[in-house]
Amino acid sequence: MLTDREIISTLDMLKNEHLDVRAVTLGVNLLDCAGSDLNHVRRRIAERVMGLAGKLVPVCERVGQKYGIPVVNKRIAVSPIAVVGAALSPADLVEIARTLDAAAREVHVDFIGGFSALVEKGLARGDRSLIAAIPEALAATERVCASVNVASTRAGINMDAVLLLGRTIKRAAELTADRDGAACTKLCVFANIPEDIPFMAGAYLGIGEADAVINVGVSGPGVVKNAIDRALSTRPNLDLGSLSELIKKTAYKVTRVGELIGREVAEQLGISFGVVDLSLAPTPNVGDSVGEIFQSLGLLAIGVPGTTAALALLNDAVKKGGAFASSRVGGLSGAFIPVSEDLNISEAVRNGHLCLEKLEAITSVCSVGLDMVAIPGDTSPETISAIIADEMAIGVINNKTTAARLIPVPGKAAGDHAYFGGLMGQSTILPVNNGRGDNPFIRRGGFIPAPIHSLKN
Amino acid sequence: MNKAILSILGRDRPGIVAAVSRTLFQQNCNIENVSQMMLQAEFAGIFIVSMPPGTSAEDLHRGLCSSLAPLGLHVHTKPCEIGDDHCATDPCEPFVITTRGPDRKGLVADISEVIARHGVNITNLQAVFKGGDAPGDNIMIYEVDVPTVVDHQALAHDLRTKAEGLRLEINIQHRNIFETLHRI
Repeated sequence: MLTDREIISTLDMLKNEHLDVRAVTLGVNLLDCAGSDLNHVRRRIAERVMGLAGKLVPVCERVGQKYGIPVVNKRIAVSPIAVVGAALSPADLVEIARTLDAAAREVHVDFIGGFSALVEKGLARGDRSLIAAIPEALAATERVCASVNVASTRAGINMDAVLLLGRTIKRAAELTADRDGAACTKLCVFANIPEDIPFMAGAYLGIGEADAVINVGVSGPGVVKNAIDRALSTRPNLDLGSLSELIKKTAYKVTRVGELIGREVAEQLGISFGVVDLSLAPTPNVGDSVGEIFQSLGLLAIGVPGTTAALALLNDAVKKGGAFASSRVGGLSGAFIPVSEDLNISEAVRNGHLCLEKLEAITSVCSVGLDMVAIPGDTSPETISAIIADEMAIGVINNKTTAARLIPVPGKAAGDHAYFGGLMGQSTILPVNNGRGDNPFIRRGGFIPAPIHSLKN
Repeated sequence: MNKAILSILGRDRPGIVAAVSRTLFQQNCNIENVSQMMLQAEFAGIFIVSMPPGTSAEDLHRGLCSSLAPLGLHVHTKPCEIGDDHCATDPCEPFVITTRGPDRKGLVADISEVIARHGVNITNLQAVFKGGDAPGDNIMIYEVDVPTVVDHQALAHDLRTKAEGLRLEINIQHRNIFETLHRI
């Protein structure tokens, strides 16, 4: 027999605290669709994606209904297109992006990730073509997401690729100048990219993965915030160790929900279940914010002194709760701090509590990195590359994933407002130190070697 | 097997279970199942017992009444019918139906009528009505077994329509979600 407390607290988590399954992401292996004939490759990709993903949305809806848990986003992640389309030209790869976009629309998923390249140890022909195609591919499509892994703890940082990506981001922003550079919201530059992220824009299907896999992304910043608020309302003097324990238990519950839903969706689709990624991923809704958690913990706003320590506590507790809940935890699993996607974080920027430098500092203890950061449109490509290089260094040296999703908003300056709409949200544009200045360090290119602790064997 | 089912009702006080079980022991009965609960200040207990050969449910009832009536307890006794413990049932999935919303007369009757109409069995019902319009003060929790042959969409639709008319918020969820969230 269930207790009424178990039932009522479940209903509260669902109704008032925005507990949901943020994304069920179907990984689709396209490696055997490779070829040098564009039309042939396009046809095979379309057939494969639509064949495997045709039932994804209805099955997710049905399973969501059965448990009363909404599956908010249904998505697809494909093999890196730089590999699948290695023999194709940049113009051809833009056509591949259109094919992916059309297939995604056909099966009613909101994003399809995997317009990706892995270049941490060098740029192959397909990688160069893909990176060259990214600006137009992202500008011309609505649902395609791109990612490029430019660094790893084992390989170091490919600074040639970092330099190239700075220019690529700038170009993508220019092509979507009428939408505040929205193409850049669909492009992540990574260090140590996981092969099984269910969250966009970084989702792709790793080279080591099977033909198809279901990965699930669960969120729940509102659930964590409410758990903290409830505990503090009865015990206002609760110490940080106790709060960490509370967050851990809450993360456990949320992760269990993700695994339940993911396994059932996978079973109904006849596809193997991959991982559950518990990430506190905010949306631009009140009560669904990571920033609000910092305030519940006692900080004036995210960004003030104490923020890094608070985020370290939060990220660690989330990971521990997730690890206890499931033996299939993967992806990023931690706390996201995407500026424009979180009302409270963008408010902290507007009020001057959070600057780029503090954001960079806290990425050393969060699960991703500089995410959805709007910067002035006149920031030079070299400076964008330099920001990326700093972020990659944090990931490489600390043996963790970091990423940069930067949007140089065309025609706008620091303090102006950028609007991306929908899940991508809006933000005040952050000032960048030496934004337009020269940067010979970055232009040197080459590789920053792997750190000493990469020599593990 | 010679079995009886008893229900005991009365104002709650210490010693009810002791008094019932002592009487059963004295009559050489064996308790097979017991479930007891309290609603507000009232005690309710249901016992299934096996009786020695030659003892009837009526004999047992008389014995229980004479020992429990002084405690203000009401006893109902009925022989268990053969086959009661071997009911053939269709395969079912366990769901939980919850409602929250303003109190009024007839809520349980209205909701349980829809559940019954679809051939769904209620295995446990908890309801608290404190009155007034605060949703958290008026809650019904039905644990039900939904036969796999039942059209789930139609059941959900009928329940939602009924709940809307009663201004209730209703949820129909597979039981696993609650166990997954709260139990290791």
